Amino acid sequence: MSNRTPEQLYADLATVMANAFPDRDISVTVGPETRVFADLGMASIELVVLGERLEQFYGRKLPFGLFLAGLRKQGAEDLELGNLIAFLETHV
Amino acid sequence: MPDVVVNGTRLFYQQMGEGPDVVLIHAVTSNQAVWVFTGLPDAIAAEGFRVTTYDLRGHGASDRPPTGYTSAAMADDFRALHAELGLKPAYIVGHSFGGVIGIHTATLFPECVEGIILSDSFFPGLRHVEPNFGRSNVWVDLSATFREIGVELGETVNFTRLFQASTELTPEQNKALDALVGPIGRGWLRQLPLLAQTTCGDEVLAEAGLTAEKIASVTQPVIALYDEFSPFLATCRWLEQNVPNCTAEIIPEAKHLAVVENTVAFTASVIRHLKQLTAPLGQALNV
Repeated sequence: MSNRTPEQLYADLATVMANAFPDRDISVTVGPETRVFADLGMASIELVVLGERLEQFYGRKLPFGLFLAGLRKQGAEDLELGNLIAFLETHV
Repeated sequence: MPDVVVNGTRLFYQQMGEGPDVVLIHAVTSNQAVWVFTGLPDAIAAEGFRVTTYDLRGHGASDRPPTGYTSAAMADDFRALHAELGLKPAYIVGHSFGGVIGIHTATLFPECVEGIILSDSFFPGLRHVEPNFGRSNVWVDLSATFREIGVELGETVNFTRLFQASTELTPEQNKALDALVGPIGRGWLRQLPLLAQTTCGDEVLAEAGLTAEKIASVTQPVIALYDEFSPFLATCRWLEQNVPNCTAEIIPEAKHLAVVENTVAFTASVIRHLKQLTAPLGQALNV
């Protein structure tokens, strides 16, 4: 488990997303139920880019592809940020 | 972000695993997310391969130059990417147009290609043997979606028409289309007007020197995976009969995008063929 709190992980995510996608400001609107496709308007390739940027930020490889494939296997049609934070809690 | 600049164009790529090189090439209007979300790169890497995925020029997170979208030009992009990344002769897994790029690369730069796995590719150079050339089921579905918002795309694949039509949509049509395609499809829709600024639409349907004779001259192993409900089964049969080292196989319960429509069967088939292609000769022959 991560030694970073969920609040710190949200702040990390906001920093990484602000750098990766400067046209989106997620810092004031996000919560655990915020959906990356429906609410943030991201495209699937942008999630792939986000995974790369998170790896750079934390300086380690993350099983982000397996995470995304697992969501699809479960039939999820979107990714809630709460799920992403839970993933980061486990892997960073 | 891992980037490589080839022929003056920045391409976004990812790499994982260690072992013989496998490169996954997506189709027109798609990007490498189609592989990532199905888990195929991880599954192949887990079997002892180094897997590279990348976004073709004009697609995904790569640059979008105005020209250079024929299979010949993109084969040259592959050659340059292959050199820049220091890959060994690679096994290419190409979906649809990605397979055309794979075959074209094998004819132009055979030193880069160890083998090719096609997924439901149709070849402009084989339009004389393919009665359903340009009649993709995916296109039929897409045309029906656009028809619901009052836009006619026609029955035959016409990317230029699709890209241009997407630039002419009213805000009301865009909103209706968003609702029809859902949250994931919206990201796909957003790129279409951008491709209208390029020659992609016409060039990807050009023969570009990849004639039937050239296709039949490929000597590397070719695995032709075609979908059970594919409109391109005549192409599959032609490849099996005319390409000297070609093995054909049908992926069940899929109609053009097997990696998404039947992920389990497609993944199992790709891995089985990659293992056979890389096995020592005696092992491959079960002796």
